[in-house]
Amino acid sequence: MNNYHFGRGRARLAPYLLLLPGFFFYLVIMLGPSIATGVYSFTDASGIQGTTLHWIGLENYREFLFLGQASIDNYGALFRTLVFSFFVTTIQFSLGLGLALLVNQRLKGINVFRTIFFMPVILGAVIQGLIWSLFLYPLGGPLASILGMFGMRSEFLGGQPNEAIAWVIFVQIWANLGVTMMIFIAGLQTIPEDLYEGAQIDGASRWQVFRNITWPMLTPSVNTNLLLNIIGSLQAWQLFLVLIGYRNGTQVLGYLIFAQGFGQASGSVTSAFRQGYAAAASIVLFCLVLGIGLPVQYFLQRREKRVLG
Amino acid sequence: MFKRSSVFLGLVLALATLLAACGSSTSTPAAPAADATAAPAAAPAAEKVTLKVLVHQNPPMVEFMNTFNEQFQAKHPNITVDMAVVNASDLSTVTQTRLTANDVDVVDMFGFSNAAQPYMKNVTPPNWQTLIDAGLLMDISDQPFIKNYDEAAIKDAGSYNGKVYQINLGRVSYSGIYYNKDLFAANNVAVPTTWSELVAACATFKAANIPCMTAGGKDGWPIFVGAYGLIGAEYPDQSKLVEGLWTGSITWNDAKSLDMWAKMKTYAQDMMEQGASGIAGDAAPGRFASGAVAMFPGGTWYASAIDAAQPSFKWGYIPFPGSDNADDNKYLFGKYDQGWAVAAKTANKDAAMQYLSDFSDPANYQAFANAVGFIPTQPGATLSSPIGTEVAPYLANFRVGYEQYWVAPKGAGEFANPFASYYKPFGTFDEPQAVADKVQADLQSGLDANK
Amino acid sequence: MSTLSTTESAGQRTQNLARPGRIKWGRIGAYILLVLFAIVYVGPLLMLVNTSLKTLPDFMKSATSLPTSLNFQNFADAWSKANFPLYMTNTLIYTVSATVIYLITAVFVAFPISRGYVKGSGLLLTLYVIALFLPVALIPQFQLMLSLGLYNNPVGYIMLFLVNPIGIVILVNYIKTLPMDLDEAAAMDGCGYFRFVTSIVFPLIQPALATVAVLHAIGIWNELILPTIYLTNKDYYPITRGMIVFQGVYGSNWPTLAAAVLIMTLPMLVIFLVLQRYIVSGLTAGAVKG
Repeated sequence: MNNYHFGRGRARLAPYLLLLPGFFFYLVIMLGPSIATGVYSFTDASGIQGTTLHWIGLENYREFLFLGQASIDNYGALFRTLVFSFFVTTIQFSLGLGLALLVNQRLKGINVFRTIFFMPVILGAVIQGLIWSLFLYPLGGPLASILGMFGMRSEFLGGQPNEAIAWVIFVQIWANLGVTMMIFIAGLQTIPEDLYEGAQIDGASRWQVFRNITWPMLTPSVNTNLLLNIIGSLQAWQLFLVLIGYRNGTQVLGYLIFAQGFGQASGSVTSAFRQGYAAAASIVLFCLVLGIGLPVQYFLQRREKRVLG
Repeated sequence: MFKRSSVFLGLVLALATLLAACGSSTSTPAAPAADATAAPAAAPAAEKVTLKVLVHQNPPMVEFMNTFNEQFQAKHPNITVDMAVVNASDLSTVTQTRLTANDVDVVDMFGFSNAAQPYMKNVTPPNWQTLIDAGLLMDISDQPFIKNYDEAAIKDAGSYNGKVYQINLGRVSYSGIYYNKDLFAANNVAVPTTWSELVAACATFKAANIPCMTAGGKDGWPIFVGAYGLIGAEYPDQSKLVEGLWTGSITWNDAKSLDMWAKMKTYAQDMMEQGASGIAGDAAPGRFASGAVAMFPGGTWYASAIDAAQPSFKWGYIPFPGSDNADDNKYLFGKYDQGWAVAAKTANKDAAMQYLSDFSDPANYQAFANAVGFIPTQPGATLSSPIGTEVAPYLANFRVGYEQYWVAPKGAGEFANPFASYYKPFGTFDEPQAVADKVQADLQSGLDANK
Repeated sequence: MSTLSTTESAGQRTQNLARPGRIKWGRIGAYILLVLFAIVYVGPLLMLVNTSLKTLPDFMKSATSLPTSLNFQNFADAWSKANFPLYMTNTLIYTVSATVIYLITAVFVAFPISRGYVKGSGLLLTLYVIALFLPVALIPQFQLMLSLGLYNNPVGYIMLFLVNPIGIVILVNYIKTLPMDLDEAAAMDGCGYFRFVTSIVFPLIQPALATVAVLHAIGIWNELILPTIYLTNKDYYPITRGMIVFQGVYGSNWPTLAAAVLIMTLPMLVIFLVLQRYIVSGLTAGAVKG
């Protein structure tokens, strides 16, 4: 490419050579095994060395997508995944942006606030689950007591499926808001001061400053965050495991796949090694995420070109 | 002329140096690596053996094993035991990876169950069957220590195609009810032996403003496990039940089942305390031990947790009275818990057999049963703990539960099980007929898909 | 040489744009919002502290009540039973080495992609974005590592953490905010590619680097299933593996686990506090002048 300024000939190879180590790890550790998963999905592989492996074509996919009531239940999980993802993405994105704007000011003790909002990320899902299971304990737990003061009561995580999922959405946002906030903060740092000074001279209102400077200049962070939030919420399973566990009417696709892969399959407690079937299920999730994620990415890239030129 | 913080310059320099190092494919030495290569090299020369043992995390068990391992090593100085503990939920995956890597000698394995039966169509065999078929577990049929165990335990939980692959170490029961002796005495309630007595007992407690039952409803399974007695009352032979469901001679919405569903509704909606649907499985014993609740349906494994929470608390344990005929209520349903299996490819066969042999020694086994609280699988052993005394009268009537036989047909829906947790507030259903029809429809869908 | 004017963080000053007189109201409003948010965050976190100060029987009796007396025994138990000194050292080694190597390799991947300095950079970026969606391939990955002889091997374990497409996406998007003139000016000054990336790009993207570093390090720090599968030699265990002793199939020792988590979180918190300074340090990519 002609915009490369760091020499020609052998010197032109530098970016290629330096890119290789990172790309190599990507190919070997990530892409390779994932392709193997794709191949497994067309077999009856158990995942155990020494068992014979048969090519069974689309049988695993047929079972996941079209076989009996189980496949209908899978569509239920698919629907819940989409609903979960929609709420998590929209709320986490907007709150994260608002919070980043808030903590990006010169206020006393702002570091403390930033750290507090980021704490859950550090703790990890198991502990997030413990904390909220305790906080949402219905018999005399803190939130139950607070609601009790207003004469309300809730079953929280043990309640009806929709109520339980609503709480997982809440905890998911609580747990990951810090990441969204951080990425926005990093983005806010890149907006040149002179733009704001110019706006000040023009007497722009705060909303105008946000609309015409902050928002367009934040485009790269907006893209990063939207993509990460969509993907993260579509693939989420850990909080479902630690907060709800296996319960009919609450599973999302990511959780179903985890349960399959670890032999903790649905309602029936049979645990069998079904690597092939689990692989097919995860390829279905992959296609779903890809089907949503790639158009979003394409749209975001186009918008970025328009906004940033 | 670049302004930059000097700290960051230092970091960049450090990164740059490291880059040079990682160019040769991450030879970054991690501290312990050096010891690792040294240790195995030295081992064979001294004819020492390291026996690798894998167990799942169950605190009293692990504590016992640590003591046992020390004694074992003292007795056999040439053997070092290297025991790894993993979470129960990861045991199956780690067993798979470590057997594949030939990195384990003795494996902890739950009692063989859920075997594919001739009348089941198109089902995947359970983990243990796959492992044996792949030649990864050792045939230990000829070992003398096998004789120390109940024939039934070896046959039901450790055999496949007539050969023995596991010695099972104990059973747990899940179809009983813990009851609060003080509350029963204070309210003049006799220990119920029939379903109507149980209903009446709950009515008495409710009238006295005492919640009748508690359970870890948040996790779902403690609710249906607590109601096992209701399934058992209708279908005492649970392997026949599974066969009947597969062949269609029993349905989940026939008259017998409807009776069970009606009782389950009472159990889930009238007997369970308000808020039980939010109690986590491991919080339930504490809730019961607080003394506020009259009864707690649950497995024998909860006894130690109840005692830990409130050592002076007085409780008893009875089989869940699911039938109005007291004779039908003398059964305890349960499962085989953990056992030992040996890796077929082990290089340390003698040491592994010595290990199992020492473990199976009746004196040691008795100590194990006392520590862990399992219902013993060695005929000579007794369970001396409080829960042991409570279950002793019913031990002859121990039966393996439906859950250990059931294999769902592929395509069956998520409701294809006899679970009391489908009822509100734990689930979404309110009417026995509606639950029964949904459960049977979900099962039928799987049966039809594999015709 | 060109002059790089690094301007102060603009975002931090937006507040000052509000007209005088309103400023204080804005500040008070901001504090009220912040405090409200903080309550939602600190409240549940205090549950963890509360749990860690209880005895197990107390916890079993009433999980959420305040402890009757402060019981610090859990911290001592956690420290000794989970074998903290050794396992924590291992965790530190894994986290630091994997994060540092990953960051360096990642910048050398993200920079040329972002700039279009390699052919097919669009395709490469797509590959990395697709990687975000890829299913976790636990068993195939295990079979691969086993055949490479990297099973039960700390180096192999570290290798597992040298890929993280999220970091690449964050870096690519962030590098786009660096003006292209920068490259040209540096090249005209005779700066080579390697030196340009290491001595100019790295410092300029520190907010993104610090973000990625924190995210990546947290992932390694809290990882439990991978060490369970890949590291079977106890000398290699990370601290998450040691903490299994407080869990159980029929119920966990939550108070000691909570104490262990608090101990384990401290170093990560320190790392975050240090790196946070780089995220908001105010040293940002400005315009190239002259």
